[in-house]
Amino acid sequence: MSTLLQIQDLHKRFGDNEVLKGIDLSVGEGEVVALIGASGSGKSTLLRCINGLEEPTRGSILYRGEKVTPQNLNEVRRHIGMVFQRFNLFPHLTALGNVTLAPLKVLGRQRADVENEARELLADVHLSDKANAYPSELSGGQQQRVAIARALALRPSIILFDEPTSALDPELVGEVLEVMRELAGSGMTMIVATHEIGFAREVASHVIFLDGGRILEDGRPAEVLAAPREARTREFLARVLRG
Amino acid sequence: MLAGLASAQGYVDAVRSRGELVISTDATYPPFEVVKGDRIVGFDVDVGTEIARELGVKVRWINQEWAGVLGSLESGKADLVMAGVTITEERKKKGYLYSQPYFLSGQVIVRRKGDSRIEEPGDLKDKTVSVQAETTGQFAVDRIGVPKERQLRFDQIQDGLMDLRNGKSDACVGDLPTVQALIREGYPELELAGPVFVKENLGIVAWKSHPELISHVNRALDRMMVDGRYAAFYKKWFDETLTADIVGELDRQESAGSPVPEVSDSPAPSTSTAEPVRSGSAFTFRWDLLGEALPLLLRGAGLTLQLTFLSLVFGITGGLALALTRISALPILKPLAVAYVEAVRGTPLLMQIYVIYFVLPVIGIGLSPFVAGVLALSLNAAAYSSEIFRAGIESIDAGQMEAARSLGMGHGMAMRWVILPQTVRRVLPPLTNEGVALLKDSSLVSVVALAELMRVGKQLATDAGSPTTIYLTVAVIYLAMTLPLTWLVRRLEARMGTGGRR
Repeated sequence: MSTLLQIQDLHKRFGDNEVLKGIDLSVGEGEVVALIGASGSGKSTLLRCINGLEEPTRGSILYRGEKVTPQNLNEVRRHIGMVFQRFNLFPHLTALGNVTLAPLKVLGRQRADVENEARELLADVHLSDKANAYPSELSGGQQQRVAIARALALRPSIILFDEPTSALDPELVGEVLEVMRELAGSGMTMIVATHEIGFAREVASHVIFLDGGRILEDGRPAEVLAAPREARTREFLARVLRG
Repeated sequence: MLAGLASAQGYVDAVRSRGELVISTDATYPPFEVVKGDRIVGFDVDVGTEIARELGVKVRWINQEWAGVLGSLESGKADLVMAGVTITEERKKKGYLYSQPYFLSGQVIVRRKGDSRIEEPGDLKDKTVSVQAETTGQFAVDRIGVPKERQLRFDQIQDGLMDLRNGKSDACVGDLPTVQALIREGYPELELAGPVFVKENLGIVAWKSHPELISHVNRALDRMMVDGRYAAFYKKWFDETLTADIVGELDRQESAGSPVPEVSDSPAPSTSTAEPVRSGSAFTFRWDLLGEALPLLLRGAGLTLQLTFLSLVFGITGGLALALTRISALPILKPLAVAYVEAVRGTPLLMQIYVIYFVLPVIGIGLSPFVAGVLALSLNAAAYSSEIFRAGIESIDAGQMEAARSLGMGHGMAMRWVILPQTVRRVLPPLTNEGVALLKDSSLVSVVALAELMRVGKQLATDAGSPTTIYLTVAVIYLAMTLPLTWLVRRLEARMGTGGRR
């Protein structure tokens, strides 16, 4: 199993507030990493640093052994997709337009090919019939599935999920997790910041518990979720599972 | 208010019981009337003050733009006009009463010193000539046969002289005493080319219903001529001794009936020759005037549309570029863009137009009035629309840019395909308002002698006899231009709104 992503001594500071205090992490091909931890523990910031949406204060990120720099960032981003908590679909484009935009503009590919692939991707997320719908005409769950198809359109090696179900009504969470489960089953490498412990237990190959900007616990779901070593982890899990 | 008194018996009695004589003028006309400090002074002012004294009342001066001076008689805002007004048959027909001639003036040609191409009126035929709009200077130039396209008609004679000095016009035509005074005060680069080529008598003007007032004015003038007050003022303001010859010529001209070479007001004066003396107040709408005025006004409206359209295209393009620069992190350009926007928004458009047309030639950039007008309006629109764009771009959720960047798009590509398409929809309403404002603001470029709608309206209103009719028509034409614009964009918004709601 080759290493896709390596994070070394990653620090991120916003003014006086140090959100990440030295993260070391390595993600292999086909792995599904679940990032759990309380709000403010640094999950989102870590994902945003990986994608270059935030610039790390210190430390480095290596993609396939190569350091990510401002110069190669756009190139690297083609291989690292991102799904946001609030979907961030482009409201002026249809579902199909959202999925095809990057392959058309970033890769400069032929429209016919791109649209065929986009329709297949929309079928994969169970939205074949919504290709011509605008985001405003879709439910939250449908929007998030379009966003997943959009992230897949560049055929990335990794997809980052930033709490993808947190902004959804409870009854819509299932359809999104279902798509993610299928994606993991197809061998996609994923890093998922989530509060869905059940999903992590079932799908993740690896669970990381972040606390106060540090990795407190790191291991297989059975270890971290069923038999946490740290008191902080136990407290967190108790709180999340009760809620 | 004064108009009400006008119909009463004994207008002069009414003036006396009011205690003041109201005289309208345009104090940009030395040595007749000019502002010094906080007072209006000049030959007319001295003569007018004496006339009021003869009537036993105080005098109050209304200082306004020439375009509105004669109209103030009809509307009853003033009793008399003293503004170096030339006596013409045309004006008489429009209902103005003149006093006896009180000054012999005439039109002269001004050229840049030593410019031997300009010697006599005939030389002007193929030259560009600046004049003051709707004055006998303009009429004289009309009569020489200088086509309209090569006449630069300014609101003030000073602007015409400045234009000549800047090398944009070849000659300027105006009243001898005024032009002489102005050249002496501030235009050493200019000189008179030849003597007076059209002699004119100046008169004091009243509205047609007040002949009694005019006869009082004439009696006052006679007394001043006899007792030496007139001669003293003449010496004071024209730096010449009043000779018997001058007085004699004044008398002779008058007694000869209409010896002054008649100057036609418009290219087709015959249309109004047979018209009866007009009646009715200034506030009636005169359909008969519309036939002459409407084609001219519509031509002005055409220019207004051209100015507005070009300035909007350039202004919006420039505004977008400025906005993108302002939200960028470019080291030198960004502060420059900020400074530019603040400078333009913090100064009046009128001043910007003046600078572009009258000041830039000093450093060697001479622009035609049209180019200067479009440039000034474009630069102005760019500053204002850049703020609209900036607000529009900043109103787009930050997640949109992040999503675009996470898909590997560069900043520019994300702007082009994600942010701007959403911005356009949001800025359309404020941009339309900017367009409407620009259309109205385009009237300000009339100061550089562009005959756009408002300017044509003002010119027609000066002499037409019914400013109300002209200005109402102008207002209707402006509305006819702005309302469809508003309507069009509302439609456009509605159409775009069917897709891509948030």
